[in-house]
Amino acid sequence: MTAASERQFAQVTIGEALGPFEITIGKPLVRRYAAACGMDSGRFRDDGEARAEGLPGMIVPGNLSLSLLSKLVTDWIGSGGGHLKRIGTTYRSMVLPEHRLTLHGFVTHVDSDSRAVEIDVWIENDDGERLVIGTASVEFPTTA
Amino acid sequence: MAVDRSLIGKVFEATAPMAVSAESIIEFCRTMEEHNPRYGKSGANGEIVAPPSFAVTFRNTDAFFRFTPQLGRGFDAGKEVEFFVPIRAGDEISLTSIVRDIYEKTGRTGTMTFVILRSTLTNQRGETVAHVDHRFVHRNPAAKENPAETE
Amino acid sequence: MATIIDLHSHSEASDDSRAPVEAYLNWIKLRRAERPIDGIVLTEHRQFNRSGDYRELEDKYGVLVLRASEIETDYGHMLVFGVNDEILRRFDFTDVRLPAQIVIDGVAAMGGVVVPCHPGRPTVGLHEHYEHKPPLHNIVAVEMLNGGSRKGEDERSRELVARHGYRAIGGSDSHMVSLIGLCATSFSSQIGTIEDLVRELRSGDYQPVDFRPRRAVPRRAEPVPGQE
Repeated sequence: MTAASERQFAQVTIGEALGPFEITIGKPLVRRYAAACGMDSGRFRDDGEARAEGLPGMIVPGNLSLSLLSKLVTDWIGSGGGHLKRIGTTYRSMVLPEHRLTLHGFVTHVDSDSRAVEIDVWIENDDGERLVIGTASVEFPTTA
Repeated sequence: MAVDRSLIGKVFEATAPMAVSAESIIEFCRTMEEHNPRYGKSGANGEIVAPPSFAVTFRNTDAFFRFTPQLGRGFDAGKEVEFFVPIRAGDEISLTSIVRDIYEKTGRTGTMTFVILRSTLTNQRGETVAHVDHRFVHRNPAAKENPAETE
Repeated sequence: MATIIDLHSHSEASDDSRAPVEAYLNWIKLRRAERPIDGIVLTEHRQFNRSGDYRELEDKYGVLVLRASEIETDYGHMLVFGVNDEILRRFDFTDVRLPAQIVIDGVAAMGGVVVPCHPGRPTVGLHEHYEHKPPLHNIVAVEMLNGGSRKGEDERSRELVARHGYRAIGGSDSHMVSLIGLCATSFSSQIGTIEDLVRELRSGDYQPVDFRPRRAVPRRAEPVPGQE
């Protein structure tokens, strides 16, 4: 999941996998991300404040899940001309920090005329439960 | 919980434009450990370009929540983001939001009210930067544990 | 000749899915070796979606496409097969508090069949409702295998099936292209129409089938932000 290469449209095939990549989101990252985004809710800062809201403890903000899945796609695109046109996410269940997670992606559609690619993305826990699911659209320039 | 669908179409106008500093983009890139040379300090032509998902850090959803105290704060159930123009350091981003839909469904934690709020981000040149459709879920008061569950 | 059908899927017509029908069919074609699916049923949330003509796509990909609905009742979510105008006049599918027993009996009288889905799921599954309400009558089958189940949910469904002697189906409950066909139902008869499906669900021979991959250890560790 590094972005050194340039993905070429001609390389892309339906069924191609992005990842899987194993991650664990630490509480320091949750706090830093929330601070960087100006999200001041206690549920992203402190276990006690989160519990006061009825949560089991600090939770990972949906925006961070979206950012991780966006990065999964932009790293796959690399430094070439393709660009992330759209991403949609559904947060099906809480993502908790300090749990092992896996980022998954699959190319599901390639349109040669519009040079557009559709990708399924999701975050899964160790029980195989998909906590965050989404889709992304990538477009490649005609000159790439 | 009563669902007041009359709110559909209500517009929450932008507050003052928000200036995008180089530091805010760089900090976002550092946080995400962004190594793609297209983003951050080494953006093309010496510009400092934000990764796409930086767009979701702009929001005026508080205005909506203040308008609907009966719904409570709610949880983020998902987003749909369409990117048009990259955000660069020095940009000034304005936001306008409109309530696109309100509906009920039932899930693992009981009856939930969903609100779709579309925010349009515009830069100082009048270019549309992104559409961000926020999908908020508000639980009914009898919902069970794990209030952030959306299914 | 047996027919394997994914009886539970959501296309972009549902509020929480962006999966185009053609992409589902192409994915089935691509993954047929691991998920040998002959057909899918689009069960859009809280509606019966008639839009789109899939006949050309069915021929192109060799996959049957049928339509049904997923409704929300006072006993949880249920799939309705054989939806017709009479059923739609009688019941408002957008109502998230439909009376389950009345719908089950009403739909059956009007030519359809209702199958409770993901019965092991909290709040929207039959299992939990049976803990504090009397069992429903005239249940033809329940969805014992659901591709979106969390840990323990299919086990609760299995227990419900065993306790009440229900027949069982499977469906992926897919909201994403790559998850279509993870669970399905194998019918001993050939099915080509929704009428065939309703008939077989009522009195035919079928069983749920599971094409979910066994859990594997993730292959590559990814450095995550904040974990130097």
